[in-house]
Amino acid sequence: MTLTAAAAKALCRIALGSATFGDVRVHVRSRQTGDLRFGASRPTTGGDVETIEMRVTAQRDGRRATVTGNRTDRASLEALVARAETLAALSPVDPEATGPLGPIKPMRVVARDAKVARMTPQVRADLVGEAIEAGRLRGLEVSGHLQHSETAEAFADRRGLSAFHVGTELVMTCTCRTPDGTGSSKGGFTSHARGTFSPRELATRVAEAAMRSRDPKPVEPGRYTVVLMPDAVAELLDFLVSSMDARAAIEGRSFFAKAGGGTKLGDALFDPRVTLRSDPSDRTNPSSPLADDGSPHARTTWIDRGVPKVLHASRSYAQLAGVPAVPRPGHIHMDGESNDLDALVGKVQRGLLVTRLWYNRMLDPKGIVATGLTRDGTFLIEGGKIGHAVKNLRYNDGPVTLLSKLVALGRPERAGMSSGRVWVVPPVVADGFNFESTSDAI
Amino acid sequence: MTTTRRGFLATTGTAIGTLASAALLVPRGLRAAPAEIRKPAPGTTGAGGPAGLVGASPLPPFAELAKRALDRAKSAGATYADARLVAMMREHVEVKDRRVERVSQSEEIGISVRVLVDGAWGFSATPQIVQLQVFAAVDRAIMQAKANAALAKRLGAPKVELAKVEPVTAEWVTPHTLDPFSIGPADKAELLLAATAAALGVKGVAHASASVTCVREDKLLLTTEGSKIHQVHLRVAPELGATAVDRRRGRFANREHDGPPMSIGWEHVTELDLPKLAVTTGEQVLQKLHAPVVEPGLRHVVLDPTNLYLTIHESIGHPTELDRAVGLEANFAGTSFLELADTGKLQYANERVSVFADRTQPGGLATTGWDDEGVPTSRWPIIDKGKFVGWQTTREQAAWIGETASHGCSYGNGYDGVQFQRMPNVSLQPGSEGYTTEDLINATDDGVYITGRGSWSIDQQRHNFQFGGQMFWRIKKGRLVTPLRDVAYQANTLEFWRSCDMLGGTSTYRLGGSMGDGKGEPSQSNAVSHGCPPARFKATIVRTGGAA
Repeated sequence: MTLTAAAAKALCRIALGSATFGDVRVHVRSRQTGDLRFGASRPTTGGDVETIEMRVTAQRDGRRATVTGNRTDRASLEALVARAETLAALSPVDPEATGPLGPIKPMRVVARDAKVARMTPQVRADLVGEAIEAGRLRGLEVSGHLQHSETAEAFADRRGLSAFHVGTELVMTCTCRTPDGTGSSKGGFTSHARGTFSPRELATRVAEAAMRSRDPKPVEPGRYTVVLMPDAVAELLDFLVSSMDARAAIEGRSFFAKAGGGTKLGDALFDPRVTLRSDPSDRTNPSSPLADDGSPHARTTWIDRGVPKVLHASRSYAQLAGVPAVPRPGHIHMDGESNDLDALVGKVQRGLLVTRLWYNRMLDPKGIVATGLTRDGTFLIEGGKIGHAVKNLRYNDGPVTLLSKLVALGRPERAGMSSGRVWVVPPVVADGFNFESTSDAI
Repeated sequence: MTTTRRGFLATTGTAIGTLASAALLVPRGLRAAPAEIRKPAPGTTGAGGPAGLVGASPLPPFAELAKRALDRAKSAGATYADARLVAMMREHVEVKDRRVERVSQSEEIGISVRVLVDGAWGFSATPQIVQLQVFAAVDRAIMQAKANAALAKRLGAPKVELAKVEPVTAEWVTPHTLDPFSIGPADKAELLLAATAAALGVKGVAHASASVTCVREDKLLLTTEGSKIHQVHLRVAPELGATAVDRRRGRFANREHDGPPMSIGWEHVTELDLPKLAVTTGEQVLQKLHAPVVEPGLRHVVLDPTNLYLTIHESIGHPTELDRAVGLEANFAGTSFLELADTGKLQYANERVSVFADRTQPGGLATTGWDDEGVPTSRWPIIDKGKFVGWQTTREQAAWIGETASHGCSYGNGYDGVQFQRMPNVSLQPGSEGYTTEDLINATDDGVYITGRGSWSIDQQRHNFQFGGQMFWRIKKGRLVTPLRDVAYQANTLEFWRSCDMLGGTSTYRLGGSMGDGKGEPSQSNAVSHGCPPARFKATIVRTGGAA
């Protein structure tokens, strides 16, 4: 069981009640998870884990410190606050210190599903068994992970902040490999709700993709038209969203910095079909209305028809630079078009279909150029049709190519293998995506 | 009996005896390799040693409850169970330019119980170390193990069996001179601000940042076999970086310094002399900003230990994890290009290359007395004269390769992470010729010398990799001629290691390390070091940016 709103707020009250500083901020995070891993077609490890985190930040005269503990009895809470205050008093002055947040009105978000919160070890074993059996039916080796969690968090400060959110998440990913080791694919489901999710359908879909991915042929590295499936799109957009940071842009350290000073906000940087938005209250794919520091997330349009409109900025930098304070988003929705996958592939004379990208690392923040490899099903497209599987490739390219050399978009869907934030993005067709070398990895 | 150094040696004797008989059962390929040295890492001894940090530990009062939890697991049908009491303390002090960005301390304490019932695992963890909650955790773990065992049986999966271990009662503390938590955060911040001020003092440096993370991992393991092992690990990770911006050309460069994280005391930070290092870092970021871009192509690369350690981690450390090779990590971290049949046969590297796994190496982040299932640590060969000879194993995995003893690679992160196979320190041995870095450069006609950790990426079977660095210099006719920027080297693991034709000698050997080696689902973090000398290879140089 995670903390109820009343219990979480009670802990905040106890902590704030023992504060001697005028500015003390409390964050409580209570989490209950259950999981089961499977590998080589058998269950391996898993567990039921309970965690709680009490984070206290104390600040006075620009001196600030944060301490975190996981004991919730009164004496421990009081000791935690006392330690935060002692540590803050010892810390050097931060000239950019900001005051407490005070009262906020977070968006109303319904993100808890009782069916997910109450899953038992037996239900986990049953769901995992379903997936393994579906893959084995086709003679494949099945691996994966099933995890359900419930997270409750509260924020409070002495200026009147008192916010609470509770949400659940169910994630199941599944990998099928052919016994000869020449084919592999992966798929996933992520949602706050159990809904009509079927592990059998997931594993069956993955198994079929794994069969198609067998015996990949090498293709020459170089620039290709690509059809990137939603998880691959999310991987690349993650770099873009991270780089939409006001400080880095204003200080000249990012793609969004203009040569000679200033930012590229308002410039037509991408294809006019590109619109990126956040909406924590999205009914199908909700996300927390509260950012890491308790700030409320708002509905935000980051890129509007190819034009960047907003950069995220911490509260302290916003105060210093006179720009709006905007937390990093926990939810990204990219608009799409009505094309289904066949229609997208049909637009490509010669290109590559990419299921997902792996081990992605930033190379050049100035151009948002990253490196990584394709994984779990890469196919040649010829004459508008999906052809044989090809060997995985290393790319050195990034979201800027994707969004500026855009050919077509599919329908937005939840990227089920992508975690960290809620990603609802379409498959994307783009020209001239750069692959540097091939890999023998299956 | 509680063991400090003296009793510890007695235990070691038993462990060596166990291994001597086990060696007869090791596959032929392995027997030709140097023997495993099963001698746990030396811990801190004497006054202020184990007694100091172990004595101050909050965990011993909970040992009795943990013992009762294990009894409860046994009577519910567990053939094996362990309880881990863990208290983690982390402190992070970070400064940016002339201001303190963050002073934070986090402390967590909790208990986990892992049970084996009918050959299947169950695990549960709670931060509430009171009987009601701990017993509930045991019951949940038993319930899972039974559900998983029934599923495994239906699927015809093999049962988990554990390699034997001699029970031991022991204490171990990371050798150190000065407890990093004995230095106040204000003093730490002051040192870091002195470093950023020194970097900003270099004309042209626009931004500087510095931080230090200190970790104390205090854990008490109890097993149904009768082991009771209390260990306290200390880790210190200093970081320092400088940025230079050329607004006219709309370009910038970052330089991160090369001081490694280590299992050690505060003396490590003092010896690094951050303010002095900051000046070099500042000077080098300017060289980097104005450096020409690299000409791509296949060439010699001379890799400094500050760069090579991560290449070892990714291209030797990960492929030799046994769970990856048998497919248990297929869904996330990936599998391995290595197969069990490659053991003792595959020519992994040039014959001058020998690599040891070593959880006893002084300063190593994965160095410990015992692993998280009570196995004494050791040093064993992974690559012997270029040939692949050894895997990383846990007690569950030993039998999979016909061995009777675990190599002691079990680790669970925090109280809430279930133990599984994690990487030990994996280190490349220095060459016998006694070469210096200069010797390697002087012998190179056309190449690139690379230091520091840059961007890194490798595929899920560890064939194809691309690694950057921090500083790059062009080598022409045996001399460093100019710094370069936007450089990475790309290679295939086996071709790369087989191309290794020069290694530095013992005096050039350095330790590098990572505090955040990720693996498993839910993902867990492991800290691990890699020692190596500088070495020379053939690789494809690629240009990673610099369009501007």
